[in-house]
Amino acid sequence: MTPTTATGPAGHRARSALRWIAVHTTAVAAALFFVLPFVFVLLTSVMSDEQAMSGELWPHEWHWSNYAEVFRTPGFLTWWRNSLLYAGLGTLFTVCSSVPVAYALARFRFRGRRPAMMLVIATMMLPPQVIVIPMYLVWAQQLHLSGSLWPLIVPMAFGDAYAVFLLRQFLLTIPREYLESAKVDGCGELRTLVRIVVPMAKPGIAAVALFQFFFCWNDYFGPQIYAAQNPGAWTLSYGLESFKSAHSVDWNLTMAATLLVMAPVVLVFFFAQKAFVEGVTLTGVKG
Amino acid sequence: MPRPRTRPRLTRRTLLPLLATTALLLSGCANPSTGSADDDPTAPVTLAFWHGWSEKHEVKAVDDSIARFRRLHPHIRVKTTGNVSDATVNQALRAGGGNAPDVVSSFTTDNVGQYCSSGMWADLDPFLKKSGMVKERIFPEVLLDYTRYRGKQCALPLLADAFGMYYNKDAFEKAGITRPPRTMSEFRRAAVKLTERTAGGSYRQLGFMPDFRLYQNSPDRLFAQWAPTYFDEEGKSRLARGGAAEDFFTTQRRMVTELGGYSALEKFRTTFGDEMSSQNAFLTGKLAMHMDGEWRGLMLDAAKPRFRWGTAPMPVPDDQADAYGRGYLTGTVAGIAHSSRHQNAAWELVRFLTADTSQVVAFANAIHNVPSTKAALASPELARDPAFRTFLGIARHPRSVSMPPSVNGGRYVLSLRDFAFRAEAGRVPDLKKGLRRLDRQIDEDNLQSRN
Amino acid sequence: MATPLAHRPAPERRRGRTRERLRVLGFLSPWLIGFTVFFGYPLLATVYFSFMHYNQIQAPTFVGLRNWAYVLGRMPLFGPALWNTLWLVVVMVALRVVFGLGIGLLVTKVKTGAGFFRTAFYLPYLAPPVAATVAFVFLLNPGTGPVNEALGALGIPAPNWFNDPAWAKPSLVLLSLWGIGDLMVIFMAALLDVPKEQYEAAELDGAGALARFRYVTWPSITPIVTFAVVTGVVQTMQYYTQALVAGKLASGVSVGPGTVIQPGYPDGSTLTVPQLVYSLGFQNFDTGAACALSLVLFAIAMAVTSLLMRGRAGLLSAED
Repeated sequence: MTPTTATGPAGHRARSALRWIAVHTTAVAAALFFVLPFVFVLLTSVMSDEQAMSGELWPHEWHWSNYAEVFRTPGFLTWWRNSLLYAGLGTLFTVCSSVPVAYALARFRFRGRRPAMMLVIATMMLPPQVIVIPMYLVWAQQLHLSGSLWPLIVPMAFGDAYAVFLLRQFLLTIPREYLESAKVDGCGELRTLVRIVVPMAKPGIAAVALFQFFFCWNDYFGPQIYAAQNPGAWTLSYGLESFKSAHSVDWNLTMAATLLVMAPVVLVFFFAQKAFVEGVTLTGVKG
Repeated sequence: MPRPRTRPRLTRRTLLPLLATTALLLSGCANPSTGSADDDPTAPVTLAFWHGWSEKHEVKAVDDSIARFRRLHPHIRVKTTGNVSDATVNQALRAGGGNAPDVVSSFTTDNVGQYCSSGMWADLDPFLKKSGMVKERIFPEVLLDYTRYRGKQCALPLLADAFGMYYNKDAFEKAGITRPPRTMSEFRRAAVKLTERTAGGSYRQLGFMPDFRLYQNSPDRLFAQWAPTYFDEEGKSRLARGGAAEDFFTTQRRMVTELGGYSALEKFRTTFGDEMSSQNAFLTGKLAMHMDGEWRGLMLDAAKPRFRWGTAPMPVPDDQADAYGRGYLTGTVAGIAHSSRHQNAAWELVRFLTADTSQVVAFANAIHNVPSTKAALASPELARDPAFRTFLGIARHPRSVSMPPSVNGGRYVLSLRDFAFRAEAGRVPDLKKGLRRLDRQIDEDNLQSRN
Repeated sequence: MATPLAHRPAPERRRGRTRERLRVLGFLSPWLIGFTVFFGYPLLATVYFSFMHYNQIQAPTFVGLRNWAYVLGRMPLFGPALWNTLWLVVVMVALRVVFGLGIGLLVTKVKTGAGFFRTAFYLPYLAPPVAATVAFVFLLNPGTGPVNEALGALGIPAPNWFNDPAWAKPSLVLLSLWGIGDLMVIFMAALLDVPKEQYEAAELDGAGALARFRYVTWPSITPIVTFAVVTGVVQTMQYYTQALVAGKLASGVSVGPGTVIQPGYPDGSTLTVPQLVYSLGFQNFDTGAACALSLVLFAIAMAVTSLLMRGRAGLLSAED
C-alpha cells in the first residue's frame, strides 16, 4: 500500500526511516527508565558501606563479599526457606482446590450459578484488610497458630477467588463438544476433569500457578500479620523490609539483599516466560 | 451489588449455621489462655524469656546473666529470645498459647500503663510480698513510678537509661568553644558556630541535628529538659497550659531556622547511615553535638572514632538554668506474662535480674547501662570511666524526668511526636491553637481506650 | 443447550436432579467451605466487633456506636487516609492506564530489538513490591540517591521525593509506573488484535495517525481499557505494602525494639485506609475502631464493585 503523496517512494522511505528513528529513540529512553534502577541497585550492592552513603555512582572497589555477608545475616536463609514453603504449598493447595470449583462454574448449569460467580468476583475485589482482624483473632487466640505461616497456607486449600475466576475464564474457551463426547464415552465428571479437562487446561493452570507463586512470594501483608511475632517464620519479603534498620546495615547490603529477593522471581520468569505472558493476557483479553 | 436471586428459605438455611459458628467463635474470644501462679518454683521447668537486646556484646551479657541464674537455680532452664520489639510482645501475649513468653521485658516504659491496666503483665506486688521484699527500699522512687500504673506494680526496672550529650572535642576546640553549652541559648549559639557548610549548600559538619526523627532524638526526650507536666490531676492532657510546650517548640523552630531550615536538615539526615552501624552520623563526624543514651560510650570506645569526644548533660531552658544536670530517664522494664503457667519460677528470674545487686552491677557494666537499684548504684564495682559517670549523675539528679504511664501506653507520645514533626517543619502556624487541638486529641484517644 | 435429562421419566429425573445437585455441591465444596469460613464468618465478626470495646485481652463489652463515632468523627487520621486512598485511586490508575497504553503502542511499533525491549519493559513488574520499594527509596534518597546526584550534576533542582509530603505520593506513582509490565502485555495483545484491514481502510480514507487511533484503535480496545481501570481501582483501594515500606524506610527511623512506627511518613502523606486498619487493630489493639474502619473500606469496595459489575467491566459475561 502506497500513501497518496507526491513525494513518491524515496520520500516514503525517508519518512519511514524517520519514524524508525523516532520510535526507537523513544524505546531506548523508556528502556533506560525501566533498566537503570536495576543497574544502580547492582552497582550499590557491591560498594563499601562508606561509599554507599556518599552518593557516588560507580564503585571504587567491587565488594562482591557483600553478598556473602547478606547470606550470613542471621535469619536470611530461614526467610528463604519460609518463602519457598509458603509459595510452594500455597500454589499447590490453590491449584488443587480451585480447579474443581472453576470447572463446576464453567461447566454445570445450576440455580445460583450467577450469584456464586458474583460472590467469587466480590471476594476477589475485597481488600484483605477488611476481614483480617477476626481471622487473626481466630488463628491467634483459638488455634494458637500465630507466629507461623499456617494461617496463610491453610485457607489456600479452600479455593482462591482469583484463581477460580481465571481458571473458569480459561475453561470457558474449551469447546463443550470435547466434554460432551467424553461423557458419552462413559467418563464420570471427575474423570472427565482429571483425564480431559486438566490436560487441556494446562496453560491456564500454569498461569494460575505462577500467579499464585508470585503472590505468595511477594506477599507482605500476610506475613506481617501472622509471622511477625516469630522471626523463625518470617519470609523474604517481610525480612527485607526490616533488614536495614533491624540489622544496623547500610544501603550497600540492603541493595544486595534486595537483588537476592528479586533474583528467584526473575529466574522463574525466564524459565516460564510463555506461560506467564499467556496468563497476563488471559486476565484481560478473555471475558 | 445486585441482589442474588435466591429463595429466602435457602438464605436462612445457610445463614443460621453461619451465625451459630460465629457466635461460638466469638464467645471463645473473651478468654485467651490465662496462666497461674500456683506452680512449684523448685520443680524443674523451662522458662521463655524475651528481651530486646540485639548487639553481640549485649546478647552475650544476657546469656552470661542467665548462666549465673542457672548456678543459683539449676532446675530452671531459660530459653532466651533477643531483638524482640514491644509490638511483638504485645501480639504474643494477646495470642497466648505455647509460643508466648513467661518473662518479658521492654525497652520502653511507654507501654507500662497499658500492660498494667489490661492485665497483660501480672501484678508483682503479691510476689514481692511473698519474698518479703520492700520495693521502696530496693528501687529509687522515679524508677518505681514508671513501672506501675494506678497502684499496680506490674513491672520492675531492669537497668535504667539516661540521656545526655556527646560532643566532639576536636570540633569544639576548632570553633573556640571551651565547655559544653548549659542553657538553650548557649546551645543554639554553639550549634551554629560548630556548623560548617559545603559549597553545594549542604553540610560538612552540623553543630547539632535538631530533627526529631534522628536516631534517639524523639521530641519527648528533648522536651524532658523543660520538665513538662503531661496530665493534670483528672488525667486530662495539659500540653497547651503552662507554656512549656510552646517554649519548647519555639526554641526548636529557632534552632531549625538558624541551622539552615527544615528541608536542608532533613535532606542532610538522609545522608546518615544506620544508628547502630559504622556510618552513624556522630561517629563519622557529621555531627558535633549529639543526644544519645549512656550505652553509646561503649560503642564509641569500640569503634575508635577519629576525634576525641566527651559527654555532658543536655542543656536546659534559660529560665531553669539551676536544673542543669537533669536529663530524660527511661529504662528497660521486666515483668511476668499473665499467660505464664510458671509464674513462681518466672518470679525467681525477674527477682534475680532486677534486684540481685551483684547481678545488676555485672549486667550494667557489661552493656554500659545505669543500674536500677539503690544498692547497685552505690556499688564500688560499678564502672568508673568519666563518660559513664556523667550519665550516672543524670540518673541520680533529683530533677531528671521520666514519662508518665497512660492507659493506652505510648499512644499520647505518638500523638505528641506527630504534632512535633509538623511543628518542627513549620506546618503549625498557630502553636497555641495546635497544642489545644493536640490536648483534645489525646483526651479523645484516652477515652476511646477506656472501657 | 438441551440436556439429555429433560426427556427422562419424572422419578428418574428427580433422582437425577438430586445427583446433579450433589455433584455440583461436591465440586464447589472447597470454595463453599472457604467462603463461609474465611469470608462469611470474619465479615459477620467484623460487624459484631465494630460495636464492641475489645483490646484483645479483656472480654469485649458493648459500646453501641462509640467506635463508629470515633472513626468517622473524632479520629484525626481518618480524613487524610481516605483522601490519600482516593487520590491514589484517581491519579495512579489514570496515569498507569495512559502510560501502559503508551508503552504497549511503543512495543507494537518497535522493529529492531523487539524482544529486548519487551523484556526490559516487562521485568520491573516482576520485582517483588517490597524489593522494588526498597530500591526506589534508595534511588530517590534526597541526600545520596543516584537520581538526585544525577539531577544535581545536570543542575536541575531535585525534589526530596519520599521525604517531602508534597512529593511522596507522586513518588509512589512513579514506582507504580515502573511496574507497568502487566498492563503493557494486555494492551499489546489487544493492539495486535485490531484487524489490519481497518487501518488500511482508514488510511485510504486519508485519516491521520490521530484519527486512526481515535476511530479504529480506540473502539476495539475499549473493553481492555475498562478492564485495566477496574482492576486498577480494585488494586489501588488495597494499596498497602509499597506505601508502608516507603514511609517506614524513608523516615530513616530504626524499627528496633521500643519504637512504634506510625505509618504515613512524611506527615501522613502516604497513609492509606488499609494501613490505618492495620495501625488501629495491630498497633493500638483497638479492635472495635479497626473493625468499624474495615467496614467503611468494605462499603467503598462493594460500591465500586457493584458499579463496575453493572457497567460493562467484562468480568461477568451476559451468558452467566
